[in-house]
Amino acid sequence: MSMLTTIVFLPLAAMLLCWVAPARLARVINVVACSAVMVLAVVLWIQLDPALSGYQFVQTASWLPGVVSEQGIQYYVGLDGIGLALVLLTAFVSLTAAIASWNVEKQVRGYHMMFLLLLTGMLGVFVALDLFLFYVFWEVMLLPMYFLIGIWGGPRRQYAAIKFFLYTLFGSVLLLAGVILVVLKTGSWSIPEITELAKAAVASGGDGGILGSASLCLAAFIGMFIGFAVKIPSFPFHTWLPDAHVEAPTPISMILAGVLLKMGGYGLIRVAYPFFPQAAVDCGAVISVLSAIAIVYGAFVAMAQTDFKRMIAYSSVSHMGFVTLGLAAGTETAINGAMYMMLAHGTISAMLFMIVGVIYERAHHREIARFGGLAWVMPKYFVFASIAFFASLGLPGGSGFVAEITTFVGAFDGPHRLWAIVSLLGVVITAAYYLRTLQRVYLLETPEVYKDTSAYPDLSVREWVVLAPLALVTIYMGILPATVMDIYKSVVHETLVPLLSAAGSRFGG
Amino acid sequence: MDWSPLIPAVELTIGILAVIVLDLLARGRHPWLTTSVALLALAGAAVSACVQPTSGLDGGAETLLGVLQLDRFSVVFTVFCCVTGFVTILATVRGEAFPTPGGEFLVLVLSAVLGMNVLAMSVDLVALYLAFETVSIAGYVLVAMRRADPRGNEAGVKYVLFGGVSSAVMLYGLSLVVGFAGGTSLEALSRAIEAGHVTGQPLWTVACVMVFAGFAFKISAVPFHFWAPDVYAGAPASVAGFLAVASKAAGFVALIRVVGATRMGVVPEASDPLTTFLPDGGVLISLIAVAAILTMTVGNLAALRQRELKRLLAWSSIAHAGYLLLLLAVWSEGALAALLFYLVAYLFMNLAAFLIAGIVIRERGTGDIEALRGMGRRNVGLSLALAVLLFSLTGLPPFFGFAAKLQLFYAVFERGFVWLGVIGLLNGVVSLYYYARVLGVLWFQEAEDAPVLRLSRADALLCAVLVVPVLGLGLFWWGAWDWARDVARDLPLVMGVR
Repeated sequence: MSMLTTIVFLPLAAMLLCWVAPARLARVINVVACSAVMVLAVVLWIQLDPALSGYQFVQTASWLPGVVSEQGIQYYVGLDGIGLALVLLTAFVSLTAAIASWNVEKQVRGYHMMFLLLLTGMLGVFVALDLFLFYVFWEVMLLPMYFLIGIWGGPRRQYAAIKFFLYTLFGSVLLLAGVILVVLKTGSWSIPEITELAKAAVASGGDGGILGSASLCLAAFIGMFIGFAVKIPSFPFHTWLPDAHVEAPTPISMILAGVLLKMGGYGLIRVAYPFFPQAAVDCGAVISVLSAIAIVYGAFVAMAQTDFKRMIAYSSVSHMGFVTLGLAAGTETAINGAMYMMLAHGTISAMLFMIVGVIYERAHHREIARFGGLAWVMPKYFVFASIAFFASLGLPGGSGFVAEITTFVGAFDGPHRLWAIVSLLGVVITAAYYLRTLQRVYLLETPEVYKDTSAYPDLSVREWVVLAPLALVTIYMGILPATVMDIYKSVVHETLVPLLSAAGSRFGG
Repeated sequence: MDWSPLIPAVELTIGILAVIVLDLLARGRHPWLTTSVALLALAGAAVSACVQPTSGLDGGAETLLGVLQLDRFSVVFTVFCCVTGFVTILATVRGEAFPTPGGEFLVLVLSAVLGMNVLAMSVDLVALYLAFETVSIAGYVLVAMRRADPRGNEAGVKYVLFGGVSSAVMLYGLSLVVGFAGGTSLEALSRAIEAGHVTGQPLWTVACVMVFAGFAFKISAVPFHFWAPDVYAGAPASVAGFLAVASKAAGFVALIRVVGATRMGVVPEASDPLTTFLPDGGVLISLIAVAAILTMTVGNLAALRQRELKRLLAWSSIAHAGYLLLLLAVWSEGALAALLFYLVAYLFMNLAAFLIAGIVIRERGTGDIEALRGMGRRNVGLSLALAVLLFSLTGLPPFFGFAAKLQLFYAVFERGFVWLGVIGLLNGVVSLYYYARVLGVLWFQEAEDAPVLRLSRADALLCAVLVVPVLGLGLFWWGAWDWARDVARDLPLVMGVR
């Protein structure tokens, strides 16, 4: 069995183990399985040759032959630098989230089973190279997420769960429409094969793209873009996110922000952009505008929030705007920056949600206005909170800074410079709301209620174990970004950039 | 003359007579005896339908007296109905409170299946109509079987009134069609159309509308769907499942035959997928396409507001009829294969869903969705089964419903009707809301005093038998799809051409 199959289905096996094992062992199984996945991911990192842009660890098996084409639907997995970077992120965030789940008490067995199923879905999306397989993993992920929010969530969990589900399914069916069109016209389910066809189509200089008609390509691209944009979430498809985040339990929020949002960006990079480079370039302006709106508007809305967790959720909308901004710019630096933003945001937002979770567990509310001076009561907690805040607002030394600066530099070179400049405004507002929140929650005077050290103990061991690695990785990615960027750089350079620049150059842009 | 196509029908008839006689002799004292005879008759009919056909297949369509035609399509459908009848009987014996599930119930189910068997083979309008009525009349009585139940009686009366009127309309339409065709056989009809006897005739449009109205009633397509929620809610859950699955499939089978015969069925492929909205294939096809869109949309929107499980499933089955109609509208070999494939998925999902609805009603005494509150913790197996079914009905992977929908929309896109496909796909999103609402009650809401819902072994087994394929075929549907394609290939797209 190949490494990839092992890493994807190991959580599924652990889930079945959870089912038969006594309920009190469920959390142990979960953490062990996540650790194993982490170890495997690191092994993949060591073994993957970053100089090669093609897929490695490829495994294929016949699955549903004869559906559409002779070869039909295959079990087809493989990994390149982009996939690896996100597999590493998934493994890392899931491990911390699994540890953060240690104190879940409601229906423990079911919770950890759903968690592991979710992990299989996420990893599967990042390694699947067959469109059908990709779509199945993409959707399978929804089911556990729906239950995790709906059963273990906050007071409005039922509303949030169904809203999340409906929004994502809306995106998914548009994605499915795009997939069906692609498969229909190309006769192939294989992502690499279709990418090659797209390359050939661009190289031939024809108008039609892989669907044989420019307008059809545009329609399919828009469908797929909306499908992925819901997940990112891009403005104006972001409204499910705050509700889902606020109601989801802390570890699930960590995964939601840390990994699930990245699937949208990954889908764009892996499927939508390579399949329809021409349409992507044509839509560049619109996507840039939407990204700028997401960045600035998201930041403003975050500033207006009174709920700590909601604020973090909107900051995600704002930050994920950089991903689409970088992609729309289409330059190599910008795409590298967009990728880096996904990784940086993955770790930082996971950390931020943990930080909200820590205080919510103690105070049982999240009203920013009711906090104050927590730094004096919980100094260690304050240290982690400041690391996360400063990294998120883009202070040099944190991973967020590298991501933002790379994206901006790249986007200035691109065709939509104006919107990159507008987006800069978002950075200022982000700094404003983070600093304001930092002041209001952690500094100033401590209200009487929070002075009770027995009710407000500093970080527990569990919280340490979750926060410390996240903080370390955040700082590491801020100081030595090259080591991380090396993982996926060559893939961007050799696959995506040539396609987009070939498509872009046709109009002299 | 080869009478062998009639073997399943004869077996069913013997079964009917045997049940009547045994019921009289035993005076309802040994219900298991009559039940097993009925089950045996159904199984026998299914088996002999499977075994017999090789003769009539290769050498083209062989007809019996020019009225009945045995082909793989009719065989498949006969088996389909036998299975549905089988499950219905089992579910009723064990299911909802049924004062006298005795002989007459079994006789009615067997008669309905007999009608469907004949219907599947009919290539003659008179035979088709007679078979259709056999199915309908058995259905009317089945719905009103629980004499003491006023809702059941109301449902029966509604069904009979709606059904009677739509049959009359259809019969009148058929009389016009026969006038055009100069004969009652479908072959005569297709010849007449080929000769151009109907082109530009306003009366032909009238005939098409009237005939389609009759079919639309049977498959509960909008705007002839009003009876379905009331009837399903008033009937025992198992009977509702029977109507939703077998009776609806019967309507589709007849429609396939007639659409095929009108040859209007050869729909030209959409030239520009982004500007073509409706298939251009004559009156009947346009009617079907519009009805498809209306049916799925109205069905899904109305289902959003339902509070009762059976009504919800009724509206959901209306919506599914819309998806199936879409396939008739685009009309290609791939579409027919997808239709068969979808019907199989539909059979498992709906029979199981109605079975579970019946169990819940029996245990809780009410069919309200609220009765499911907290069941996620009280009976995990049943709740998981229901979750699988509802996700599958929504069309989510990795369940059978998704595979069926994928093939369905693939067939629609393949013919270039992108907009029809997208409307259908978006309808799936709407449907998620009401299916997930049931799951929300089931899993997310806590119940204070809900008793444990016990499942007898037989019920559990029946559930498992129906749910496991929904899971298994969702990931490995290659064999089933291949089979559906084979069957569709045997069915001439245009009747009378071979």
